[in-house]
Amino acid sequence: MPSVSIVLPRAGVILALAGLALSPSSGLTAAQLPLASTPYVLGDGIDRYERSMRSGGPPPDGIPSIDEPRFVQAAGARLDPLEPVIGFVWNGEARAYPQRIMVYHEIVNDRVGGLNVAVTYCPLTATAQAFQRGSSTLGVSGQLLNSNLVLFDRDSGSFFSQIAATGLTGAHRGATLDELQAVWTTWERWQAAHPETLVLSERTGHLRNYRNDPYGSYVPPGGYYAQPGTLFPLLHSSSRLHPKAMVIGARTAEAAAYFPMEALARHRVLQVEGFLALYDARLDTGVIYRVPGDQGAPAVTPEDDGGFMFEGRRLEAHELSLERLVAVEAFHFAWHAFYPESRTPQDRRSLSGRIPGNRGNSGLSGVQPTRRAGG
Amino acid sequence: MSRPLRAHERAAVILRIPTCRTLALFLGVGYLMLFLVALRDLTPGGDGFGFLRVPWSRMFERTGAVTFEPVAQFTVPGWTLLVSPLNLLIGGVLAGLAALNLVVTWIAFRQPAACRFNRSAGIFASLPALLAGSACCAPVLVLLLGLQFSSLMMSVFQVLIPLSAALLLVTLKLVLDRTDVTLLAPGATPTTASWNPREPSAGDASSLK
Repeated sequence: MPSVSIVLPRAGVILALAGLALSPSSGLTAAQLPLASTPYVLGDGIDRYERSMRSGGPPPDGIPSIDEPRFVQAAGARLDPLEPVIGFVWNGEARAYPQRIMVYHEIVNDRVGGLNVAVTYCPLTATAQAFQRGSSTLGVSGQLLNSNLVLFDRDSGSFFSQIAATGLTGAHRGATLDELQAVWTTWERWQAAHPETLVLSERTGHLRNYRNDPYGSYVPPGGYYAQPGTLFPLLHSSSRLHPKAMVIGARTAEAAAYFPMEALARHRVLQVEGFLALYDARLDTGVIYRVPGDQGAPAVTPEDDGGFMFEGRRLEAHELSLERLVAVEAFHFAWHAFYPESRTPQDRRSLSGRIPGNRGNSGLSGVQPTRRAGG
Repeated sequence: MSRPLRAHERAAVILRIPTCRTLALFLGVGYLMLFLVALRDLTPGGDGFGFLRVPWSRMFERTGAVTFEPVAQFTVPGWTLLVSPLNLLIGGVLAGLAALNLVVTWIAFRQPAACRFNRSAGIFASLPALLAGSACCAPVLVLLLGLQFSSLMMSVFQVLIPLSAALLLVTLKLVLDRTDVTLLAPGATPTTASWNPREPSAGDASSLK
């Protein structure tokens, strides 16, 4: 059986572990909606976020989440090999959520490996994120912040930003969702890594044409997914990369960082202060670790077989004995809009100079959002 | 002495004229198709033949300001039709109003004697029809052109469909009140008009042929 990249809840974890603990801000039992005990850094204050929310058109639940998901075996799934899917694993149970279904529902309230989770996807920012949901369910509010999905907790009514994973209104305002690792990859890669995976069925309980993406296509890249334009106003803009270039980022309580996926795939190891990113060739994604400031840059060397040498041992990207952070892939414009002070490799010299065993030597400019097409 | 015809009676007289009826049907069906495509109830992409349905009660669930959930789905190779009864109702009303407005505009151009406004003023009647078209198509166009939704634009989109329906009604009433249907149906009584486009008349009705 292939190794399974289960990622534990982010450090600090949940108030829900005892099932009785109370959310510090709400007084609700954490079992209703588990929250993280340590917040993520924010690019702007909650007040500004709240003021900047705007309607995307649909009313709350106008984009219906899938609350009673059905699944089919991998062998019975009619997916194209290069089709994007969102992967999630918990306690050895693997799920694949096809992007072409998620684009119409954005949230699946699921139970995987005994854990209640909400797998979420925002087509406008290309972000796939999973959150613990306890006994509650999450819905699509119809609001957007930085062109990104705003979720709502059906128990408390609180709105949450998806990318920031932070409460914007109501009882959970300022609280942080307990985020789990979801993976944005292709069906053929996910199936190869998790042959036993179940696949979200098109029998969602809703009627939609799942063969037609309203925004464009990933295979080949087209429409909104390839155009430089964004649909809704942003708090912060950057011209450093193509707006739709895929980046992978992570945040802690103190800082955020991102790495362009194209550069990470080429260099395989990238670092900025406090963060180490490794390329996981198996799933064509990244793994991001926290590097404490007093440790200096860890010596990680890419091996020819896709693994890495670390502390004298050959390891897979997800096997390093460092604190693993939840990594989020996103369009560059979206990550920058939320984290304008995000740390990122600055230029060719800083890339090649910091990385032990780095074999790449290209700059970061001109990254195009075509990586998914080639898987 | 017979009373003046009301607007809906004038519309009925116009629709009894075969040419006008055919034109209205053509425009109405075309508009409705466009409406369904813009709402994504009619989309390319379909795998084989199929039919799915969900409980009828779902038809009242809103997916947008004035758009609603489908309760049935027909799939044929290459196309998928989602049947949302309320979307069809709204689209049908808009399509009917837009088609009638356009037909009256066409009459004003082809037979100005029948209308107490000049040809260029006939355009007035078609403007709400165009606005009604933008009610369904504008969000799609914004997406296709890669433009950015502003708060104002979103607010306008929310009310565009009811606004365009109201404007269509108002302009239709105005132009019908100024249309002399007796000139469209020479020799016929106002309530039982049947117009022969081949019969010459003072209003040059044959130009509507």
